[in-house]
Amino acid sequence: MKKIKFEEALKGLEAIVDKLETGELDLEESIKLYEEGIDLSVYCQKQLTQAEGKIQRLIKKLDGDIQVVDME
Amino acid sequence: MKGFISVSELNEYISGLLAADEFLSDFWMKGEISGFRFYRQSGHMYFTLKDQETAVSCVMFKSRNQGLKFEPEDGLEVLVRVYVSVYPKQGKYQVYVQEMQPYGKGGLFLQLEQLKSKLEAEGYFAPENKKTIPEMVNYVGIVTSQDGAALKDILRVIKQRHPSCQVILVHSSVQGDTAPAELAEGLKLINAHGQAEVIIIGRGGGSFEDLMAFNTETLVKAICESRIPVISAVGHEIDFSLADMAADLRAATPTQAASMAVPDISRLKKEIEKYQYRINRVMERRIGHYSETLDRLMLKRIWKEPHIIINEKERKVAEQQEKMNRCIAGFVQGSQHRCSLAIEALDQLSPLKVLQRGYVVVYKDGKLLRQTKKVEIGEHLKIIFNDGNLGVRVMDKEMFLNEKNQI
Repeated sequence: MKKIKFEEALKGLEAIVDKLETGELDLEESIKLYEEGIDLSVYCQKQLTQAEGKIQRLIKKLDGDIQVVDME
Repeated sequence: MKGFISVSELNEYISGLLAADEFLSDFWMKGEISGFRFYRQSGHMYFTLKDQETAVSCVMFKSRNQGLKFEPEDGLEVLVRVYVSVYPKQGKYQVYVQEMQPYGKGGLFLQLEQLKSKLEAEGYFAPENKKTIPEMVNYVGIVTSQDGAALKDILRVIKQRHPSCQVILVHSSVQGDTAPAELAEGLKLINAHGQAEVIIIGRGGGSFEDLMAFNTETLVKAICESRIPVISAVGHEIDFSLADMAADLRAATPTQAASMAVPDISRLKKEIEKYQYRINRVMERRIGHYSETLDRLMLKRIWKEPHIIINEKERKVAEQQEKMNRCIAGFVQGSQHRCSLAIEALDQLSPLKVLQRGYVVVYKDGKLLRQTKKVEIGEHLKIIFNDGNLGVRVMDKEMFLNEKNQI
C-alpha cells in the first residue's frame, strides 16, 4: 500500500463504509471496496501503534550545527 | 547702566539661570498629555503636560521622538526625561523632552496595542495565512523552558494521549530581555531540524510583565515565518498575547496546547475498530443476501430433478402421438363403415339374392342363356337354383310372339 497520510486513510475508510452501507453497488464493486477498506483500517491501526516515542533536546553547537541529545 | 534691559536680555538671563541649575537640566517628570500636535514637516512634537492643577508646555524634537515605541496622544499619562529652558520668542519657559514612555501598566498596554495594530496592518495575524494543524501528529516540537511547569504539563498530556509520539525540545528562557530572541531561535532550530509536525511554544502563567516576551515583534515574526504550524500556549491573565494572535492555533494553557497538538490514540483506535466492525457487518450482510438469493435459486426443483425437463418433453411428444393415433383410428373406422355400406349395397345387387326370391339362371354350354330361340328341343341345359344346380333336357319349346318382350 502506498504511503498516504493517516487523515486521508481515515477519511477514505469512513467514505468506504458509508458507501458500502448506503450505496447500490454490485458484488464486484463492493468486494473491491471492502478489500480497500480493510487495507485502510489495518494501515490506520499500524500508524497508531508505532515505536515507543522518545523525548530529545535540540541544541545549537558553537559552530552552528544542530545537535540532538536524549533527555531523561 | 541704562537703568533698563531689553526683553532679549531678560530671556537670556533667565535662560542662563535655568541652564545653570543642575536639577533642571536633566530630570524625570510625570504628566498627562494634552493638546498634542505633531508637525509632519519638521517632525517635532508639541504638547502640554498637565496634572490636576497645572500645566507646562513641552516640545519633543524629531531627533528625540524617532525612537518612540508608541504614539503619544491626549489623555495619556507619560513619564518624560526632560530639561527646562526658555522659549525666547514668547518669553515662556518650556520643557524639552528627551525621552518619553507610557506611565505604568497602562503604558505597556498601550505599547502592546500599538504594536498589535502595526503587525496586524502588516498582515502577521491574517487568518488566511494560518496553517492547519495535522490531525495525526507523531512528532512534536516544543519551545519553552526546560525547567518550567509548562513543559511537564505538555509532556504528561502527550504521553497520555499519544504514547508513541516523539518530542523534540528547544530550551529557551521565557522571560527577560533575551527571551524573545531565544524563543524565536528555538522556532528556527526546530524548523531547521525539520522532523516536528507541529510546534508548541509557550510558558505557564505569570504577570503581565512576565509574559512580555510573547508580545514582541521578534517572536511574532518568527512564529509567522515557521514552516511548521505553531500552537501558542501562554498562560496569561489578559485576553491575548501577540504570539497567540500570530500562532496558527491558540491554546489557553500548555496542557490544552498538548491536547490540540497530538491525537488521542486510544480514541482513534476505537474509531477505527468501529469502522472495521461496520465494514465487516455490511459485507457479511451483503454476502449473506447474495448467498440467500443463490440458495433460493438452488432450491428450485429443476436442480434436484433435472430429468423433469425431459419428462415434460416426453409427455408432450406422447400427447401428440396419441392425438395422431386418435385421428388415424377415426379415419380407419370411417373407412370401414363406408366399406361395409358398400358391401351391403353390393350384396343387395347380387344375383344370388334374386335366386333366393325363386328365380333361376340357365346356362347352355357354360354361357348364360337369355333367349329361348337359341335352344332346340332335346338340348342339354344347366339350371342354377338358390340351393343347387339341375341338369335338364329340353322337352318342349314355345316362344312369345312379341320379340320386344324378350329379356
